Amino acid sequence: MYTEVPRPPVLPSVGVTPPGHTVDMTTTESPWGEGYTSGGAERVDLDGGQWQPGRNGRVGTVPVDRVPHPLGGAALLDRLRVTGLARPTSDPDLVADLRSHIEDASALMGVDGASLVVTPNSLADALACPAHAPDRTTPKEFSLPLACGALVGALFRQFVTTGTVDDAFAEGVEALAVDEHRAPLVAWIGDLAPAERAELRAEVVRQSEGLRGRWPALDPAWLPRTRECVRVSLSGGVELVTRVDLAIGRPTGAEASVAFVEVTTGSRRAVHRDVRRFQALMETLRSAVPPFAVATYFTRTGELEVDPVTPELLVAAARRCRAGIEAIISGRDVGAPTVGSPAPGSDAYRWCAGCAEAPLGRPTPVATIEALPAPSVPVAETNLTDPVAGGLAIAGEQAA
Amino acid sequence: MTRCDVLDVTRARPPSAPEGARASTPQVDEAALARVRDGLVEGIASVVGSPAPGDLVEVTLPLLRRARTCPGSVGRVEAPFAWKPVFARRSLGLAAVRACADGRFRGPAGAVGPLAAEAVDEWRRTGRRTFHWEPWFEGLGAGARAVVLAEATTWAGPLWAAADWAALGHRATLGGPDDLWTSPGPRTVRLKGRWEARVAPAGAPDGAPGRTGAGPALVSVSGGVPDEGWTDELAFLALVAGLRSPDHPVPARVVGLWPEAGERRTVEVDEASLTDAAEHVVVTVASVVAARG
Repeated sequence: MYTEVPRPPVLPSVGVTPPGHTVDMTTTESPWGEGYTSGGAERVDLDGGQWQPGRNGRVGTVPVDRVPHPLGGAALLDRLRVTGLARPTSDPDLVADLRSHIEDASALMGVDGASLVVTPNSLADALACPAHAPDRTTPKEFSLPLACGALVGALFRQFVTTGTVDDAFAEGVEALAVDEHRAPLVAWIGDLAPAERAELRAEVVRQSEGLRGRWPALDPAWLPRTRECVRVSLSGGVELVTRVDLAIGRPTGAEASVAFVEVTTGSRRAVHRDVRRFQALMETLRSAVPPFAVATYFTRTGELEVDPVTPELLVAAARRCRAGIEAIISGRDVGAPTVGSPAPGSDAYRWCAGCAEAPLGRPTPVATIEALPAPSVPVAETNLTDPVAGGLAIAGEQAA
Repeated sequence: MTRCDVLDVTRARPPSAPEGARASTPQVDEAALARVRDGLVEGIASVVGSPAPGDLVEVTLPLLRRARTCPGSVGRVEAPFAWKPVFARRSLGLAAVRACADGRFRGPAGAVGPLAAEAVDEWRRTGRRTFHWEPWFEGLGAGARAVVLAEATTWAGPLWAAADWAALGHRATLGGPDDLWTSPGPRTVRLKGRWEARVAPAGAPDGAPGRTGAGPALVSVSGGVPDEGWTDELAFLALVAGLRSPDHPVPARVVGLWPEAGERRTVEVDEASLTDAAEHVVVTVASVVAARG
């Protein structure tokens, strides 16, 4: 064990977003620009171990083919690293404006010493329309998708940290068991009937194989951090809190050098976009420099959805954050639970993630395990080539 | 991530010092420290009451925070100690930053695994524990071990990025034994200060130039966000470091890092800041004594 230091991956020289995206990832929000060239792109130098996202002047992305295969190895890193946009830089005025905009809402808390912790989940709940609002009247029950999310999240962390996963299911359970807060879930997994346990194990192993096959070793010089906590304290006793599954990149000063990756076992949902943009906002408020990219990695399919961070993205995230805080506080004022609903007639419903999905024509995923592939099916023959075939449909369950 | 260049902790206080930093010249001589010590001893004596045999009040930074933010919790009975990843992350994380500063590794992510393995091997061969948690760590499965390593890596990242530790060389001490000071009197009151790094002033390679020399800077890493009592908390570390030994100068400055919030705050240590910290200690001791009845 640990006989040698993990070495950085051997990366090809790249200068533009790789053409091999995953299914559905046909475009990004990056505009085509004058700096784009299809060949002879500027080299990205990784010598010296510095995490370097795309250089200036490479605006735009390569049109994507429709070959539905997930990225792996260096191409996966390139997808994250080369956003097609110039790296953001520190803009104190923008940061001050973002904070001021949000604090217009947090100040509504008053000065009575009350405090309010706002998380991505509490924002999403508060902004949901009545049709999509989660049922908070009954305790959330454990389920196979939830357990799968927790286990795969732990395995992702293990893989990033040690570079190895041997017995995925057993090691995932071990990782959960060392966290006392996970004891009820571990007990629930232990009590599963043999058939359910086998199904859960098969899906965890399948997704773990996907992680192992696609994620390259991360150079320690890039300072990879898992489950990094980010806090932003606002006026009125409001504190924004989130936890980032993977933060990579060493802060270098005024230019963005950090990327965030959220890991989820669920299907692609609008809420994932909201979460990663909220995290981009959080990092900007925390460090005064935005991350250059925020991404969601879907372990079920191998998709990596990337948002280059722009001022427009941050402003949109700040508006949504403000609306959510207002919704939460207005709920509190009338004696509602911590997570309240927007007042009737409020335009806060325009931030509802559930409603945002309807125009996409995406049906709400159904939590089912009936489509599980046989455990013996090689990963390469299923999901590495067709990420939408088989797999466990998980209703927006985010990995722990 | 805190964009803090700890290299500057031993330089002159910047013109735009953070709010709350002391404006007076940071200098604490022996007479000033004696006044602070006498006031602290007198204050403690006035609140400890009649001790139960063997009763000990140990004042730490976390206890100071709890006494201010959640006074009702200071008397609670702690659960029996058991190792868990968050308890091991600081010691392993500090070792990782140290090893990186020595040039052994490119970053904490590459250091934690080998360092943990080396410590376990050392414990197996000699029985000596580098971190104290070696037997517990060895008994864990691979998945649980990975959590320990991941926690340490994430903890160490901001500290490693906070300064060019390699350039500081022997001036920087990353981790070390806790500073301890015990109050004289019928009831044992012990102050325990724990810092993550100590940086000797330039020209003092061993970091211990004597009472008349300039004091070092301490670096403290905390979770959460700094609250209104952060000045007293940072000054508390300087207080304990100053009281513990007459052979070491009182720290001139304490830098607090709150990586989760991206905050860096600095206290320039002077008699007033130490006095405030001592008063905070007395109030905390009083709370603990009252809670214990």
